[in-house]
Amino acid sequence: MSNPATTRDERLPCGAHSADLLAQVVDGAAPRDPEHQAHCPHCRATLAYLTELWAPVLDVAAEDVRAPAGLLQAVMSEVRVLARAGWSAVLREEGGQTRIAARVVGAVARLAAESVPSVSLALGGGRIATTDVGLAGDRVVVDVQIAVDFGVSVHRVAQQVRDRIAAHLHAQTGLTTTEVNVVVVDVRLPPGTA
Amino acid sequence: MDLARRGDEDAFAALVRTHQDQLYRVALRMTGNPSDAQDVVQETFLQAWQHLPGFRGESGFSTWVTRILINRCHNARRAQDPVVPLSEQDESAAGMPRSPGAETLAMTAQSRDAVRRALLELPLEQRAPLVLTTFAGYTHAETGRILGISEGTAKVRAHRARRALATLLEDWR
Repeated sequence: MSNPATTRDERLPCGAHSADLLAQVVDGAAPRDPEHQAHCPHCRATLAYLTELWAPVLDVAAEDVRAPAGLLQAVMSEVRVLARAGWSAVLREEGGQTRIAARVVGAVARLAAESVPSVSLALGGGRIATTDVGLAGDRVVVDVQIAVDFGVSVHRVAQQVRDRIAAHLHAQTGLTTTEVNVVVVDVRLPPGTA
Repeated sequence: MDLARRGDEDAFAALVRTHQDQLYRVALRMTGNPSDAQDVVQETFLQAWQHLPGFRGESGFSTWVTRILINRCHNARRAQDPVVPLSEQDESAAGMPRSPGAETLAMTAQSRDAVRRALLELPLEQRAPLVLTTFAGYTHAETGRILGISEGTAKVRAHRARRALATLLEDWR
């Protein structure tokens, strides 16, 4: 038997709000008037109905969900492929050479992009780092995907991302950035917007 | 963590082992599909491996890697496609034995499937805080840190999402 309005904010014959009773069941909120509730048939009936409605949600939440058996192995085999690929930039300096792994270059580039105001997300798009960062000697090409806040000038933000990545990579790694390709993949409401 | 950040594969494998169940739980509820969930978790760990050198440890690893996972769910948009979630256990109504209590079991299975379907009906902005709090056990403060919003906003969004889920379940009765 269903009561199609119970989960919306209806007033029960006793004056209680069904929304309060719903919050009690789904959020674990304290009852507004425990004494009234204990003796009111309308409240008790509604609580029983909502508890039954919400029970399967709690059942699903309580299910013992485990990652598939092969997941760890699958992840680590791809990680080993990445590690074996061993792509790195090389800086030849007096007294030896410095090698900087592609994933380090990619991380610096991502953090630089994320430091630009209005860029709420900047993540490499592919599964493999080499699709995001190209390295040859001390030259770097970066492909980066970003999401920008709604309302800002996309091309201006993209240019800021380009400049910031090149500056950070030069300052932190000594590498020369020859190209930064920015792909704007999403537009978002600024963080904190309810 | 320091070893993993420096590229130690065994140290990273230990991180994967520790966090894979929790991430898979979140991914499964976000995507509604075991195969998509596995893909998302796998991609998330690879992305974490790539960017671990830049992880500054301001948030915990769990918060950081869960944020990557949620972003991947947003990017993929797969979760927004109208998919019918696969039944995760061998308790679907179709295969029920004809025995006392079978009808009750079938109804329970149907109710759970309704919950999984209803979750997918919610927009990602509601689904993410609901999954993190109700289905993965994160507090509102942790959920806020993962989603880059305040604790109060996380609480409001989770409450709205629970209300929306309850309304859907009621409408489908």
